[in-house]
Amino acid sequence: MLYRESGDFKTSYKADNQTFPIAFDRYRYWVVLAVAYLVIPFVITDYWANAILVPFLIYSIAAIGLNILAGYCGQVSLGTGGFMAVGAYACYKLMTAFPDVNILIHIVLSGGVTALVGAAFGLPSLRIKGFYLAVATLAAQFFLVWLFNKVPWFFNYSASGQISAPEREFLGIAVTGPNTSAWASYLVCLVFVTICAIIARNLTRGSLGRQWMSIRDMDIAAEIIGVNPLRAKLSAFAISSFFIGISGALFFAVYLGAIEVGEAFGINKSLLVLFMVIIGGLGSIFGSFAGAAFLVCLPVILKLIGVDLLGWPTDLVAHLQLVLIGFLIMFFLIKEPHGLAQLWNVIKEKLRLWPFPH
Amino acid sequence: MKMKSLIALALSSAFIATPAAADLVIPDLSYRTGPYAAGGTPFSDGYQDYFKLLNKRDGGIGGEQVRIVECETGFNTEKGVECYESTKGEGALVYQPLSTGMTYQLIPKATADGIPLFTMGYGRTSAENGAIFRNVFNFPVNYWDGASIAVKYLKDQHGGSLEGKKITLLYHNSGYGKEPIPTLEALAAKHGFKFKAIAVDHPGQVLKLTCYQQVVHLTVIKH
Repeated sequence: MLYRESGDFKTSYKADNQTFPIAFDRYRYWVVLAVAYLVIPFVITDYWANAILVPFLIYSIAAIGLNILAGYCGQVSLGTGGFMAVGAYACYKLMTAFPDVNILIHIVLSGGVTALVGAAFGLPSLRIKGFYLAVATLAAQFFLVWLFNKVPWFFNYSASGQISAPEREFLGIAVTGPNTSAWASYLVCLVFVTICAIIARNLTRGSLGRQWMSIRDMDIAAEIIGVNPLRAKLSAFAISSFFIGISGALFFAVYLGAIEVGEAFGINKSLLVLFMVIIGGLGSIFGSFAGAAFLVCLPVILKLIGVDLLGWPTDLVAHLQLVLIGFLIMFFLIKEPHGLAQLWNVIKEKLRLWPFPH
Repeated sequence: MKMKSLIALALSSAFIATPAAADLVIPDLSYRTGPYAAGGTPFSDGYQDYFKLLNKRDGGIGGEQVRIVECETGFNTEKGVECYESTKGEGALVYQPLSTGMTYQLIPKATADGIPLFTMGYGRTSAENGAIFRNVFNFPVNYWDGASIAVKYLKDQHGGSLEGKKITLLYHNSGYGKEPIPTLEALAAKHGFKFKAIAVDHPGQVLKLTCYQQVVHLTVIKH
């Protein structure tokens, strides 16, 4: 009844090609943005920011990045953790080398550095595919973590090998460091998420996105119709790494503030982001958000129910979490192999017919 | 007049009553899961048992009951942040992060919140400087003097000389795992023992193999 195309007349090509062709979707989009920008910053607490919202936003960017590579271009990557580490260390080196330059510029620049590194590690994708490429990106993961652990230049020769984010301000408000208020770190991440999501959404709708998808669906056919695989694959690696680098920089500078590379950006991180993309839905921007929300919020919710509500021992709850999350992942993938995004699409299809399903 | 004194009375009793009703909250950031659980579980049990003992035997500390709030970190820094944020609101008195990674993260946060950190034998070595790190206490040892004490003990065990002996450090292959190495290298030059450092990667499956390789004197310094 509410959710339908009919009655929403488009009078220009621009209107016809917009991201959300259905009026209800557009209103929902603006409502979500209004709540995120105008309501949450005023009610947010330290706990909500640091335990749920900031990690959710940062992982969303990483998931969008990986989704471009794995979901749209079909190149499976296990190097996400390593690329996030590149973003984090680039941000650290830039922050300490050029303290006067704005931190937000540094975060974007670290995305750029990661894009270069990502494109370099994407070169093997021109020759190898599928599982073999996954293993090649796994090499990137281990190499990068080893590099940041081994070469003291990257952590400015500190005795403990940790990198710590110094305090930096934007318009006189602390954005990184201990005195950052919850709303400031939340808003910084939110701005980056919004911009990244809009860029990613429009890239995937445009000619570059269509090239990626044609490579994903059948690379030989794509080549025959004139898609340059070198350009398509390397651009997918570079753009995906750009987003992942931004998320790594935010992860280090805004969220954790201090990082030990092996612990924070190990293989677990690569797998976590890959799970987010798979559970959320390959080839869907909404899916990246859904997957990130699922894997960030679920452990917290399970912990709240188990420890705070039922009073169970913490180790039991932690083990149950592993079991339950594993079970839920299997359940979702059996029931809906295309992820939460497909579930959302099914709901939308039903909504279109509602309340007269015949 | 009467009303005023009543209010004053109520207020003052409220002020006196508040501390009496409140417990001493001590968070226990434990790691009973994950690859380091074998060390984390007994520590957490002991930590909790000690405060239970104080509560039962002495009626708490200074007449106040101690309330332990346990939070499972799994030795993971992100979960550690969540634990810190969720427990600090309950009036946490002191934190023992039990992990160097988590300590680095909590030093600025806890300093901003005015909560002391007690990092015994791990954490940030430079936090010895109390003028700068006023909220961090890392007694009895840090990585550097820990290494030095271990060497001194071995020296006493071997009749006051380590000349020609071999000492191997199996270290956690991370930034903080490497911290004792410069100290031990300096001591090796001073005391004339041969020093070798071998990395053990997380989560430590190769440890056993590495141990077999090193039949000579072995010092394992934990993070």
